[in-house]
Amino acid sequence: MSSPPMNPLLEQFLSEARDFLETAARNLMQLEDAPSDEGIVNELFRCVHTLKGNSGLFTFPEMTRVLHAGEDLLGMVRSGQVGYSRELADRLLEAMDFVGMLCSEIEATERIDASRAAESQQMADALRKLMPGSVPGGAEARTSARDAGSLTATNNTALAEDVQPAQLPKFGIIPESVRAAALEQCRQGDPLHWIAYRPQRECFFHGDDPLNSARQTPGLMWGRVVVPGPLPALAELDTYSCLLQFDLLSNAPREELDQYYRYLPDQVEITAVALPWLVDEQGKCDDPHDAPAAARPLPPISDEEGAALERILRAQRQILLLDDRPAWRAGRVRAVAEVLANLSQATGDSAARADIQLSLADALSSGHNTLLLTWLDARGNKSPASERSRESAAGEEAAAPGNEGSAETSRDAGSGAGAAVTDDGVKFGRRAEDSLTGPRSLKVDQAKVDRLMNLIGELVVSKNALPYLAERAESQFGVRELSREIKGQYSVINRIADEMQDAIMQVRMMAVSIVFQRFPRLVRDLSRKLGKEVQLVLEGEQTEADKNIIESLADPLIHIVRNSLDHGLETPEVRLAAGKPATGKLTIRAAQEADRVVIEISDDGKGIDPAVIKRKAYEKGIIDEAMLERISDQEAINLIFAAGFSTAEVISDLSGRGVGMDVVRSAVDKINGSVVLESKVGRGTTIRISLPLSMAVTQVMVVESDRQLFGVPMDHVVETVRIARSAIRTIKQSQTAVLRGRIVPLKSLNSLLGIPAVPLANSDDELAVLLVQAGSAELGLLVDGFEEAIGVIQKPLNGLLSGLTAYSGSALMGNGSVLMILNIREIV
Amino acid sequence: MPTEFKKNRAVFHDEVSIEEAEALLEWLQTRPTAKADLSACNHIHTANLQVLMAAKTGISAWPGNAELRAWLEPALKSGE
Repeated sequence: MSSPPMNPLLEQFLSEARDFLETAARNLMQLEDAPSDEGIVNELFRCVHTLKGNSGLFTFPEMTRVLHAGEDLLGMVRSGQVGYSRELADRLLEAMDFVGMLCSEIEATERIDASRAAESQQMADALRKLMPGSVPGGAEARTSARDAGSLTATNNTALAEDVQPAQLPKFGIIPESVRAAALEQCRQGDPLHWIAYRPQRECFFHGDDPLNSARQTPGLMWGRVVVPGPLPALAELDTYSCLLQFDLLSNAPREELDQYYRYLPDQVEITAVALPWLVDEQGKCDDPHDAPAAARPLPPISDEEGAALERILRAQRQILLLDDRPAWRAGRVRAVAEVLANLSQATGDSAARADIQLSLADALSSGHNTLLLTWLDARGNKSPASERSRESAAGEEAAAPGNEGSAETSRDAGSGAGAAVTDDGVKFGRRAEDSLTGPRSLKVDQAKVDRLMNLIGELVVSKNALPYLAERAESQFGVRELSREIKGQYSVINRIADEMQDAIMQVRMMAVSIVFQRFPRLVRDLSRKLGKEVQLVLEGEQTEADKNIIESLADPLIHIVRNSLDHGLETPEVRLAAGKPATGKLTIRAAQEADRVVIEISDDGKGIDPAVIKRKAYEKGIIDEAMLERISDQEAINLIFAAGFSTAEVISDLSGRGVGMDVVRSAVDKINGSVVLESKVGRGTTIRISLPLSMAVTQVMVVESDRQLFGVPMDHVVETVRIARSAIRTIKQSQTAVLRGRIVPLKSLNSLLGIPAVPLANSDDELAVLLVQAGSAELGLLVDGFEEAIGVIQKPLNGLLSGLTAYSGSALMGNGSVLMILNIREIV
Repeated sequence: MPTEFKKNRAVFHDEVSIEEAEALLEWLQTRPTAKADLSACNHIHTANLQVLMAAKTGISAWPGNAELRAWLEPALKSGE
């Protein structure tokens, strides 16, 4: 993103737009299953409608146009004029994608490139084509006409003489003085464009004022109001329907005109004007220099105009006479020259421009305005209006001595222009009938929430020091009263801290729907591509978990869904042959189980054949021959989580590059989750991912060994038992015990950590065994004793300690001591 | 008020917006001989312009704003 902060309104618009687009895409997907569901159509319509309205707050006509077409189309779907079809959904999805792309563009550059206009028009036309009884023909005709227009524009050097006169009206309608100026422009190779502005009848409702638009056209040289047919009688006149059209002649470059009319590309036709058009057929007075300007009828200059002219000239003179030398002097002189040149042009003296340019060049190089002043004096004498207005101007000057008079007028002109601008702004506001209501939710930078969470974590830890303080007050200083009071205060602080922790967790909680909502589109696109028919069922979308968990879930889930579609579900023919319904079913279910979120992805596809897996794994050297014999079917199936494993015969662009399932496993492991796969050949596959609700607080079991405390993550703890020393048998070098009919290997935590001490038994000569789950195997850890299970905020080890793989992190205990958290997978 | 309705003369001030058009139309329907005074007018919304054109309203004073006058004069002259 660019360094200056983005306009907050725009920022909000973009984030809302994303939400709307997602909702719209989801609704379109739902509509596919229930084409006649009015509720969905209504929501979809509202979505697009609001988005369109919001986009109108900014200058993104390209976006608004597409959304507007979409809105119209959906309006017809809503009223039953258009039925739902796949093509309709495709077009609308495409349009939403386009809008999404524009959003990204705006985010990156805060604007939309003008070149998008054509694309957006195409998109809108494609949408409108789906409307029955609409004017697709009209729209197309317009488009082609415009294309032809742009064709002539690009080829204007070729001077398509036989094309232009046909498109352009006779130049005779243009006043002679304008024609001369235009001719001059043309000769100098400057661009010249004829604009046929045909406003839509309903344009007033869009806040357009065609006359104003026409008047403000850049580089406007001349323009006229056109009445296409007889105006209706007063009684039948509809004030709110625009009947007038405009013809304009402009000397602005094409891009500028395109930019100016970017809201109405379908209402204007811009044609480049070439020299021949301006030249009279009879060849009379084809050059303004041959026939002096004075010979031509000049537009009559009224008294007011003359006075205004005189005032402007006087103002320019005053500016030139300023003898200060600011840094912007060059710009000021240029502006004066431009004003003078334009003024000359307006009064029909188009030859003056060259003189002014010369004087300007001199003024810029010499730093003196003498030449310009001389020109101005000469000009003042020969001006036809000057004589007439001289007296009145003199009178005015007497009334307002000094240069105030001229300053006044220019200020007046300025405020007039300002008013016109604000008027435009008001019109914009008018269309925002669905204006932004106050935001119901706050968008907060995640870093701020993280900081708050860290602070609360520290509070929780330091609050735990109070019980120790209370104990010291009693045992060390013998003040029992104080000790009790500290304990009382502690329970209050404890309650508040717990609630705070709970609250901050809630803030970080997000519904899994954030991840789920992209699946309908993914499944739809992929299944079409693969020629399969798939019904996607999403359940438990409201299940919540910590933001980090949810986010890290996205990629593994996409891998799994892709795999299911590509390898799991069969094509309709195969399914029918196997006696299953043609449409496959893919279910993604989320649910909360105790302090974990379980996500289950199941399909009713062909399942995984353990024999194939075994063979593949052996071929790829993932397992050896002995293993091949020994391995159970369930274990074999879980081999697909091994790195570098792929069963696909052909590598498709969807999956099958052998980077699927091991990525899933490692991503899930990273957030302390587990993944299990069950499959029945011919019946389908189910993958269960179990994740912690939150990564912030880890439940650990505290154990003691050799007078040190260690934490073992609760996820790994199966149970705690005490086993009599006599029940422990030694098979070869390893110790084992029989627990509930199973043989469990035992290992001493001390020996695993390299501590030279033997595990201590209690008074009954029983050893404490912590049964842990390490991967798929269970193992008994011999420790000295068990402490309580506590929730800690685990901090990763950093610096030199980060190399210690035996520990996954550390946590602060209430008494200020550090608890090391064991990384069970690493040490066993 | 940008539009002032005198006895038989509508006087336009500054910028005349589309909100005026309906009232102008009604007013002109009952006064076929009414004239319009545009001298103080800087801009007139297209809707008003087409009402004036349709009513063939006579102009008692053209706009002081020369550029606007250049637009309006050819369009409204036929009414005189």
